[in-house]
Amino acid sequence: MLALETRDLRKTYGEGEAVVHAVDGINMSVEVGEFVAIVGPSGSGKSTLLNLLGCLDLPTEGHVFIDGEDTAALSLKALTRVRRQKVGFIFQEFNLLPVLNALENVELPLRYQGVHAKEREERAAEALREVDLLNRAKNRPSQMSGGERQRVAIARALVTKPALVLADEPTGELDTVNTCRVIEIMRRLNDELKQTFAVVTHDPMVAAYARRVITLRDGHVSSDEPQEATPVACD
Amino acid sequence: MVKYILRNMWRRKGRTFLTVFGIAVGIFALTVLGGLSARLTQQVNGARSWFANSISVVPSGGSLFGGGGEHFFDVATVGQVHAVPGVKDAVPGIGLPLSTDQGFSFGAPDLIIGLGPGGQDLLKQLALSGGRLLQPGDKGKTVLGSVIAEKLGATVGGTAVMRGVTFEVIGILRPTLSAPDNFAFVPYVDALPIFLQANPFFQQKQIASVIYTTWNQGVNPEALGARIARQVPGVTVITPAKAEQQISQFSLIFNAILFGIAFIALVVGGLSIINTMVMSVSERTREIGLKKAIGAETRSILAEYLLESAAIGLIGGLIGTGLGLIAIVLLNGATSSKQVTVFAITTLVVIGPIVFATVLGTLAGVFPALRASRLKPVESLRED
Repeated sequence: MLALETRDLRKTYGEGEAVVHAVDGINMSVEVGEFVAIVGPSGSGKSTLLNLLGCLDLPTEGHVFIDGEDTAALSLKALTRVRRQKVGFIFQEFNLLPVLNALENVELPLRYQGVHAKEREERAAEALREVDLLNRAKNRPSQMSGGERQRVAIARALVTKPALVLADEPTGELDTVNTCRVIEIMRRLNDELKQTFAVVTHDPMVAAYARRVITLRDGHVSSDEPQEATPVACD
Repeated sequence: MVKYILRNMWRRKGRTFLTVFGIAVGIFALTVLGGLSARLTQQVNGARSWFANSISVVPSGGSLFGGGGEHFFDVATVGQVHAVPGVKDAVPGIGLPLSTDQGFSFGAPDLIIGLGPGGQDLLKQLALSGGRLLQPGDKGKTVLGSVIAEKLGATVGGTAVMRGVTFEVIGILRPTLSAPDNFAFVPYVDALPIFLQANPFFQQKQIASVIYTTWNQGVNPEALGARIARQVPGVTVITPAKAEQQISQFSLIFNAILFGIAFIALVVGGLSIINTMVMSVSERTREIGLKKAIGAETRSILAEYLLESAAIGLIGGLIGTGLGLIAIVLLNGATSSKQVTVFAITTLVVIGPIVFATVLGTLAGVFPALRASRLKPVESLRED
């Protein structure tokens, strides 16, 4: 079963002489329960691809199927629904809301899903436990370290049990110790909960822990190889 | 949701405070002037009902409150007015200032009104809080308006000294919140000597300053007024419609000022809310992008910013109205020793400015909220 599939996916910017093919005909698919790293040099189209996969941006041409649903024909409102129900996002800059504490930040996607307060709180607490931060539930992001903030963001991406979690340079702002910790958590969620991950990264350490690596170059897939993932061992 | 919006407002305490304060100042002014206008409306409405039931005939050049001026006519005029077809009764009246050294007063002046025979019928429309009305043959007796009664410390059965003359208080009227509250009604025969004493060189000995005229059933008072003006020389006729006009003009200017203040509050307050909200939206562009990325609907972003904007208006409105009410109570307290009430607190005075401020806040939020809700997630997330 496919969590994600693209067909002839293209995204171009500009016109005429200045046209840039950021994503230039990508066909790929990700099975449910996979852990895929998407790597490539700067400007290879990684972030553009991730935005298209997450329905944050509209392709110029082609299709993105999420959990079997073709998103090409959907209205902006319907795309919002797809993001809300099927996709979890992890960003490089964490993007937590500063006025909410950790628990409230994790609750936010459930709030948009219309889940009522009591269940919201239980599920958010459960997600925080998964990232080992339940003791920090009442802390605001400003009171946490970068590693802790990213773990809260992971809990937020996870709390809706989405078909697909998309991460854009999730360790880009973290030191080695916290990078390891974040990878360890993502891998564990992938192993235990069969949560599907697609992670854009240029950190070789992150790529090494993936079970499959897709390499982009100039908007194309230049290689797509399964690999023996390095066991995670922090410290 | 409410908690979240308040926290967002609290992020920029200084800016939020200044905006709320700006609204509060405008609303404060609106509340105080609203109190003034409400009090005026009470007086106007009271005066309206008082003047609606009779035609006031005054000497040429006289006006509605024709007491204490230099315009008088001979009591013989009363007979001439009475003779006009359609007139039911014509009652001579004489108006005198209660105190000879009256300074500025807000609204109706304090007057002693001497009423001729038949005057008791005019008073019938005024409800008594105690005692009885004047009757033909009464002498040395008075029926007091509620404000005057309080001023003189008079009670039914007691006495009241006015212009050096002691009267027996036989009745006290219910408050009407208008002109008659400041009137002391006495028999014409008592008022005349007081007048003549104050004006020793006056030649005529039987005078009136106003003739209260009532009409037979079925007679149009406006047409009757025109007839009186034609048939009786040297008089100005103030019919109910004319009285209404004079009274309305009186309140029109105050309401114009009130609307002016409201308009300024609207423009200044509205612009400052718009400014604050536009800044908030641009500061939180990333957050809005994040919310949209994780599934917030356009309308939930819209609602969030509209509510925040409305909350600024509401809080400004509550503070402004609160301060305005405090000011009204203090000002009324300061003037209460003179038995003058300058401001009235009505439901509209309290609720009006609060609703106004909240609606203003909501409307001012429309533009910034639309801007926020239309942000595209990818571009907003890229923003620093």
